[in-house]
Amino acid sequence: MVIVEIPIGPQHPALHEPIMLKVRTEGEEVVEVSVNTGYNHRGIEKLLEKNSWVRGMYISGRVCGICNAVHMQTYVQGVEKLMGVEPPPRANYIRTLVMELERIHSHMLVAAVMAEIIGFDTLFMLLMRDRERVMYLKELVTGNRVHADIHMLGGVKRDLDEVRRDRILSELKIVEERIKYYMKVFEEDYTIMKRLSEVGVIRKSEALRLSIVGPTLRASGIKSDVRSDDPYAAYSEIPFNVVSRDEGDSWARMMVRFGEALESVSIARYTVEKLPQGPAIPKTIPRATKPGEVISRVEAPRGELLYHIVSVGGANPYRVKIRTPSFLNILNTEKVYIGHRLADVPVIFASYDPCISCTERVMVIDEKSGKKTYVSMRDLARVRVG
Amino acid sequence: MRLALLREILANLARKPATLKYPVAREVTVAPGFRGKHYADLVKCIGCSLCAVDCPANAITMEKLPQPLKQNQRGIFPVVDYGKCVFCYQCVFVCPVKAYIVTEVFEMADHVIGTSRDISLSTIKGGGSA
Ligand code: SF4
Ligand code: SF4
Repeated sequence: MVIVEIPIGPQHPALHEPIMLKVRTEGEEVVEVSVNTGYNHRGIEKLLEKNSWVRGMYISGRVCGICNAVHMQTYVQGVEKLMGVEPPPRANYIRTLVMELERIHSHMLVAAVMAEIIGFDTLFMLLMRDRERVMYLKELVTGNRVHADIHMLGGVKRDLDEVRRDRILSELKIVEERIKYYMKVFEEDYTIMKRLSEVGVIRKSEALRLSIVGPTLRASGIKSDVRSDDPYAAYSEIPFNVVSRDEGDSWARMMVRFGEALESVSIARYTVEKLPQGPAIPKTIPRATKPGEVISRVEAPRGELLYHIVSVGGANPYRVKIRTPSFLNILNTEKVYIGHRLADVPVIFASYDPCISCTERVMVIDEKSGKKTYVSMRDLARVRVG
Repeated sequence: MRLALLREILANLARKPATLKYPVAREVTVAPGFRGKHYADLVKCIGCSLCAVDCPANAITMEKLPQPLKQNQRGIFPVVDYGKCVFCYQCVFVCPVKAYIVTEVFEMADHVIGTSRDISLSTIKGGGSA
């Protein structure tokens, strides 16, 4: 049979991200997929080198809209280590609260996107409606529904008062019920099961070999979570479970996210109820770092997020290297699509909870004999892995 | 399973739509403490430029004051370009004299570039509003 190449993206109704999947099919069956990236490069790492430590906080937060607080946390906790500054416990609790609210709305978003991709638009609408409650809470705590910008070197910029705490607790109760309900829908609905289960299976050994991270890894039966493996912020004091499943398919990835969202609700509740007394807002902003380098990592909604920050003591960082979870999850999983139907491609892709804006930060331009050759992200990834 | 969904659908029949008819009906509200339009109170500002130095979006430029002010020896004041501003409120946080007046105003789309110049200058005579 003839092999047909079908480009999906970079603008495509089924993909909500600027990425291109070149899908080669034989009839309905997918025989090869290659991922093409490079549509969203903004040079953020360079920008961080050109700006002061304080400005860098906000730049790192703008790597990604959905995961802005975790990006800021990773940057800030790394820089704090270089500066020898320790945030007060109250600030750590508030940071944790914001990051968990972020995880809840991120996981609800991908569930909604998945519902839309499989043609279940009503569920998409319902999920997005209820997600708005979490967005409101984030706005209430930080002052903006998307960009939290609450981190500050040595603490947070805003404290949490009693009125806000009561409102958070009452809203979280509703959010928890809604998440449980949607989890049940994903568990029991015939159509969803048909579309998701046994689709895009990643086995345990394969997940390890491909360096998969986050919920995608935990859905393949590996309990690995930076929050429990290498606690940061207030996570060492908060009890929570690491959710994992053994199936390894798209459905398991969604279920892991629902389970995690429920855990996040209880973590958020814990931080509000057990908020330590004391100051949270630093009196002065620390500005000087000692020369040195630091690796800082946190568990973003999509998996392990890692910053490598190098300082030579000046007003700016010398180098900030960012490794984001989607980078591993999207680029290393091209083989997973093979053997599935064409219509399963967006489903599998969405089940990784892809985020392109955080993936694309590197573009190598090789100037040989005056000729520019662009090296794609995929080739870079190959070089790294191979 | 379908029962659960059916109940949800029936419940929604009686509900009013979750989406708002913006901008026809202006019922959009923001949470208290929303980071909206902000401007410097020139009665307080000492012209230290710290806000302009820290602004990650380079949205603040220091301009000459039209008249001398006692507390402001340098004779300059910050003008925020709302088109560039990302509303991170680093300027509000860093200001040593808490000179910024913050509001919850978020509707700033316009056909001209909006800055805080006029509104900041109006604070000199004890004026100033959102
Ligand atoms: S809010 Fe942030 S971006 Fe806007 S003027 Fe202030 S420092 Fe600059
Ligand atoms: S930091 Fe405050 S006092 Fe200094 S220039 Fe800005 S508004 Fe004026």
